[in-house]
Amino acid sequence: MSLLLRRNSSQLRLLQRLGAATTAEVRRFVSRDSDNDSNNVTAAQSSTTTANTAGTTAGNKLQSTKRLNNLSAVADTDIKKSVFISQSHDIFTNLALEDWLYKNFDFGNHHVLLLWANDPCVVIGRHQNPFTEANVSRLMERGITLARRNSGGGAVYHDRGNLNCTFFTPRERYNRKYNLNIVTRALFREWAIKSEINERDDIVIKNKKISGTAAKLGRPNAYHHCTILASANKLHLGESLVKEPANYISRATASVPSPIRNLVDVNRNVNVPQLLSAVGYEYLRTAAMALEDGGSTQLMKQRGFQLVNPTERWFPGIEELRASYSSWDWVIGKTPKFSVEKELELKGDNSGMKLKLSVDVEAGLMSKIAIQLPQSDQMVPVVTPLQGKAYNEQNLNGIIDALKMVSTSNVQQAMNGSI
Amino acid sequence: MVFITKLARVVGAQTARQLLSKPQSMTASSQWRSFHVSCLLNAERRYTDKHEWVELLESNKAVVGISSYAQEALGDVVFAQLPEPGTELKQDDECGALESVKAASEVYSPVSGKVTEKNAQVEDSPALVNTSCYEKGWLFKVDLKNPDEFQKLMTEEQYKTFLSSSADH
Repeated sequence: MSLLLRRNSSQLRLLQRLGAATTAEVRRFVSRDSDNDSNNVTAAQSSTTTANTAGTTAGNKLQSTKRLNNLSAVADTDIKKSVFISQSHDIFTNLALEDWLYKNFDFGNHHVLLLWANDPCVVIGRHQNPFTEANVSRLMERGITLARRNSGGGAVYHDRGNLNCTFFTPRERYNRKYNLNIVTRALFREWAIKSEINERDDIVIKNKKISGTAAKLGRPNAYHHCTILASANKLHLGESLVKEPANYISRATASVPSPIRNLVDVNRNVNVPQLLSAVGYEYLRTAAMALEDGGSTQLMKQRGFQLVNPTERWFPGIEELRASYSSWDWVIGKTPKFSVEKELELKGDNSGMKLKLSVDVEAGLMSKIAIQLPQSDQMVPVVTPLQGKAYNEQNLNGIIDALKMVSTSNVQQAMNGSI
Repeated sequence: MVFITKLARVVGAQTARQLLSKPQSMTASSQWRSFHVSCLLNAERRYTDKHEWVELLESNKAVVGISSYAQEALGDVVFAQLPEPGTELKQDDECGALESVKAASEVYSPVSGKVTEKNAQVEDSPALVNTSCYEKGWLFKVDLKNPDEFQKLMTEEQYKTFLSSSADH
């Protein structure tokens, strides 16, 4: 914060005003910037209720759909930019804030960069399987939150040493390369750190990844977000992103594991607050569609930094979004169906006889539990009260423990019985 | 899984036979897939400005997919999330997502109606959307609630004009 303020005294006044006028801010968020280039003061003077605000939001959405056809006609100079800094470090709240902006905001004449950092958590892609991406039970033990975001891509570990940047634009102006270049230019301007953008749209320094990317494309809006590792806990990162020991058969999007690097190991002066301001300033001083540096002239045309407080009062409906992001139905229930196979050794005359346990999981629940003998292709269903229960390591071990009591002859009998 | 795929094919074959209303030899039936139907009927394909296509199977049944332009823009599709049969959709509802390289793109329903079938083959091999977006890569089938919606969509000609006029972005 102090860094932000030191740079530009006019920004300081803006931030102070923001702190004072929270309800006015809600209105400002939904106001259309093309028509209304007003500053906070005018917005603060006109009083509106929250209910009205929600109505305006819906109205704006309609307008923005209509305006889609003319989007290409919008000139670069007509687009203002803002940097929003989330005051929350809760992953579910920040995902809800991101989603709220994606669903409700009109980016037609106003591009937004949202900057946020979270307490320790693992965030998986929309179509990923948490059990193949992370050690779910280990996360629980360590107090690391598991979350599922709405964009594509792979699993990432977040903590307060990692900065997240979400670049919002209308779908037509979604441009990953532009956004990533903002980040690499910021790193160079601030610390003379040289980084590259690779073919997977990761930002790498000497072949080690410092930033991962994902995106959500909808209508009328799209966003691209990326992580930047400044000083994340590499031990926790490594331990969190290891799957549980079992053989998973899944069609879910798989992550591409890459060696990572913290920026602080490249330049020991790097820290998250300074990184945040560097990326924010680089974004504001660059033209909206072309990667052209406009220096402080461009900077002064923008709407600047705004601290946002992701609460129901500022963003009506955000609590509901947060509830949905943090629900079991979303985090685990949205897992694409998969099967787990595990080899078990049985008690019996032939020592070393192996049995294959196979569990089908649909919507996070164990829908089919079966075992297979090595000599046979036939799957024998296992009757257990755990069927239909949530899949997790504990329940899987519950089944395995129960099966340990079974001897080979039991299985043979069961098979004969079922034929 | 194999079982489900086979089942889908059989259902597709049955639909095909019903629609053509002439007997097919059983030996050929395993070769039949629903996408052939539309080819044989020579049905017209209509497009939306969001690059989805709709093709009529009967007066009130339609099949939905994404256009070649859309699949090219997406890149290699690695995951397809499709609407479940029975889902009631309104026109322009978000009804699924296609994930390509790190990006999840929402799929919007071009028409209102009830989903009757989703393409299980696309769920199993999402690359079909890239390799065969008008045939094997169809996404879902709907019972149309309002057939007028279909008539209002762009024809092939109009869509081509639309693409060339918006080619600059």
